[in-house]
Amino acid sequence: MSINTLPPKPLNLFPLWLSVILALLWLIIWDLGVDFKDLLYGVEDMTEYFSRYGTPNFSNMSSYLYLMVQTLVTAFWGTVLAFIMAATIAPYAARPLTPNAVAYRVARELLNFMRAMPDLLLALIFVSSMGLGPLPGVLALSVHTAGFLGKFFAENMERVPAGKYEALSAVGAGFTQKIVFAAWPSMLREAVGNTLYIFDRNVRMAAVLGLVGAGGIGLELHDALRLFKYNQASALIIIILITIVVIDNLSSWIRKVLN
Amino acid sequence: MNPSWYWPTPSGKPPLTAVLSIVLPIAVLILTASTVDMSYNKIFYALPRMLDFAKNLWVIPDWQYLPQLGTKMLETVEMTLLATMLAVIISMPLGILAAKNASPHPWIFRMTRDLLSFIRALPELVWALVFVSALGLGPLPGIMALALVTVGFMGKFIAESIEVVSAKAIEGLESTGCNKLQSILYAMLPQAVPDFIGSLLYILDHNLRAASILGLVGAGGIGYDMVMSMRLFNYERIGMIALSIYALVTLLDRLSDVFRQKAIGGILNVH
Amino acid sequence: MYIYTQKRPVMAYISLREVCKVYPNGYCALKNINLDIEAGQFIAVLGPSGAGKSTLLRAMNALDPATQGEITIDGVTLNKKNYRKIRAHIGMVFQQFNLVDRLNVMTNVLVGRLAEHSWLSSLFYLFPKTDYQIAEAALREVDLLDKAWSRADKLSGGQQQRVGIARALAQQPKLILADEPIASLDPKASEEVLKLLRKICSEKGITIIINLHQVEYAKQYADRIIALNAGDLVFDGSPEQLTAAKQAEIYGTTAEEIYYEPELVLANA
Repeated sequence: MSINTLPPKPLNLFPLWLSVILALLWLIIWDLGVDFKDLLYGVEDMTEYFSRYGTPNFSNMSSYLYLMVQTLVTAFWGTVLAFIMAATIAPYAARPLTPNAVAYRVARELLNFMRAMPDLLLALIFVSSMGLGPLPGVLALSVHTAGFLGKFFAENMERVPAGKYEALSAVGAGFTQKIVFAAWPSMLREAVGNTLYIFDRNVRMAAVLGLVGAGGIGLELHDALRLFKYNQASALIIIILITIVVIDNLSSWIRKVLN
Repeated sequence: MNPSWYWPTPSGKPPLTAVLSIVLPIAVLILTASTVDMSYNKIFYALPRMLDFAKNLWVIPDWQYLPQLGTKMLETVEMTLLATMLAVIISMPLGILAAKNASPHPWIFRMTRDLLSFIRALPELVWALVFVSALGLGPLPGIMALALVTVGFMGKFIAESIEVVSAKAIEGLESTGCNKLQSILYAMLPQAVPDFIGSLLYILDHNLRAASILGLVGAGGIGYDMVMSMRLFNYERIGMIALSIYALVTLLDRLSDVFRQKAIGGILNVH
Repeated sequence: MYIYTQKRPVMAYISLREVCKVYPNGYCALKNINLDIEAGQFIAVLGPSGAGKSTLLRAMNALDPATQGEITIDGVTLNKKNYRKIRAHIGMVFQQFNLVDRLNVMTNVLVGRLAEHSWLSSLFYLFPKTDYQIAEAALREVDLLDKAWSRADKLSGGQQQRVGIARALAQQPKLILADEPIASLDPKASEEVLKLLRKICSEKGITIIINLHQVEYAKQYADRIIALNAGDLVFDGSPEQLTAAKQAEIYGTTAEEIYYEPELVLANA
C-alpha cells in the first residue's frame, strides 16, 4: 500500500477550461459587434454627459413623491398577492406534504412557469390586455414572484424535520392540519425572510414597471430621459435610490430583529 | 347549545403579535387599494379583455420570423454571458476587499461595502435607460447596465462567502508565516469555491431574465422585438417570443439545478 | 520507554520569561510562566481542559501573542514585527488538522513553503521544483505519497493529520508545536501519529512540544513532561518523576475551575 515514489500527476483541466471560456468571450464580443474602444474614445463625452445630471430639479417633488408612493404600494400589493398564491400552491409542491404525485408535478410546473416569465414581459402583456395603470403592474409582480416565493416555501417545508409531520400523521391530522400545525410554525422565520426579500425585489421592479405603462415612477423617468430633461431624471433617480436604500435597510433590520 | 372555542393561549385569546401581523397588512391593503386601481369594476372590466387577448394569441405562428427570433435569442444569451463574465472579473477583487476577514483595512472594507450596495441599489433597467441615452441603441449599453448591477450583487456574494470560510483553514496557513494575500489565495478562495458557483448560477439565471427585457429600452436582446410586436398587435410573434423566453429560462433553470448538485459535490477540483 | 536526559542546557533553545496571557475578557490563561527548553527534545504538556496548554503553544508562534513577558526562540525574541518570520520556521499541528479541504494534499503540503515566496509567484499557484522535492520528501516521511493528488477532505482523520505533519515538515522547521494532535483521532491513528512525531524528533532532531490529554502516552513517548493547571506551571520533570500522586495533584484540583477553551472562543469569534 505504501509507495516510495510520487504517483503521476493527474491531468489538470483548469487551463483548458480557462481557454475555452476566453475563446467563448472573444467569440461573443466578435458576434455582438461590441467595440469597447467606443467607451474609451467616449470618456470625455461620457463625463460631459453625466455632468448634465449634476443639478437635480425637484420642482415637481409632490408628483414625484406620489409616484414613489404608488410604486411602493404596487410592490406591496404584488408581494401580498404573491404570498397568498405561493402559500396556497407550496404545500402541493413540497414532497412530504403533497397528497399525490400528480399534484406535486402540477404544482412544481406551475411554479416553474410563473417564475420563468419575466415580470416586465407579463406587465407588457397585462397592460396591452387590460389598459394602462398600476393594476397590470400589481398582477405581473404577483404572478412572477409567486413562482419564486412558492419555490422557497416548498423548499422550507421540505427542510422541516420529517418527525414533525410524522407526529401529526400519528394523531390522524389531515393535509391542512399538517400545514397549519407542523409546516408553518417550523418555517415561519425563513418564510418571513423570503417574503421580505421578495418585497425588496418588487420595490426595485415596481420602479421600472412604468416603462411599459404599468404605473409607478418608471414612466416619469423614461419620459424625462426621452425629452432630455436630465435634471428631472437625476431628481427621479435620487428619489428611487433613497427609497430603495431605506427599504433595504428596513428589511434587513426586521430580519435581524427576527433572528 | 353554546359551543365555545378558544385559542391555545393562557387567556384563550389570540396573541397580539399574530393579530397585528394580519390586521395591519390588511388595513394597508384596504387604504391603498385605490392607489393601484384595485376595485371590482376594474378587475371585472379587465377579465373579458384578458380572455380576448388570450384568444388572439391562438394564431398560426409567423414562421418567417423564426431566423430573426433565433438571432435575437442568441444575442440575449450572449449579452447575459458577456455581462456576467465581465462582472465576475471586476467583482472578484472588490469582493475580497469587501470581506471582513480578507480586507486589508476596516475603512477599505466599509467603503467597498457601501460602493457595492450603491451599485446594486438601482435596477438594471434604470442604468440601461441612462446608458442608452448616453451611448445610443444596441447591446453595449445593455451589457454595461447588466454588468454594473451584477458587480454590485456578485461582489456582495463573494464577500459573504469569503467571510464564512472556516477560521481553521486560515489559521493553518497563518501558522506557517504566510502573508495576508497568500492566506486569501490558498485558504479563503479555494474554500469559498462551492459558494461562488452557487452565486454564479443564481446570477446567470437572474441576468438571463434581465437581458430578455433590456430591449424594452432599446438596450439589445429579444425584449425590443417583444415590445414592438406588442405595439403592432403582431400576435403571430408575441406567442413565439414569449414561448422561447420561457423555454430558455426553464432550460437554464434545470441545467443550473443539475450543475449545482454535481459541481458542489466535488467535480470542480480546481487545483 | 524514552529516557529523560538529565544534563542541563548550556543555552536554552526556547526560553520563556515571566510570560502572562490575559484575554480581553479578563481571563488569565497563563500566569508568570518561566520555562527553558533545549533543542531536540520531545516535550509533552499535560493538564486539564482550560489549564492554558493551547495558550502556551499558541503564544510560542504568536497566533495568540502573550500579553506580558518575553519569549525567545533560537536566539530571536518575539515581537510584533517578526511574527511571520518566526512562524516560517515553526511548524504547527492542530487538533482539527486545519487543512484547506478543497485543495489537494500536495498543495496543502506546499503551503508550508509559502512564507519563502513573494506574493507574485503565489498569485498563480506556482512553486519552484525544489519546493516539490521538499514536499515529496515530507510526504514520504509521513507515508502518504500515494495520496499526493487526492483532495484533502477525501482522506481519513489520521491521514489528514499526517498531511498536517507533512505541511509542518515542509517548513523545514527546528520546532514543531502540536496542539492536541490526537484528540480527534481513534486510538490506532493516535498511536501512529505519536510514533511519527517521536520518529521525527529522534531522527531529525526537531524539537517537538505536544499538548496531550492522555498521561499514559506522555509517559510513553516524552523526554520531559510539563503540566499546567489554571495557568500555573505545576510540574516539570522526567516521565519517571510523574508519580500517581503528582498526577492526582495536577488533575485533582480542577473541579471548581471555569471551563475555558481558547479554541472555542476563537471558533465563535
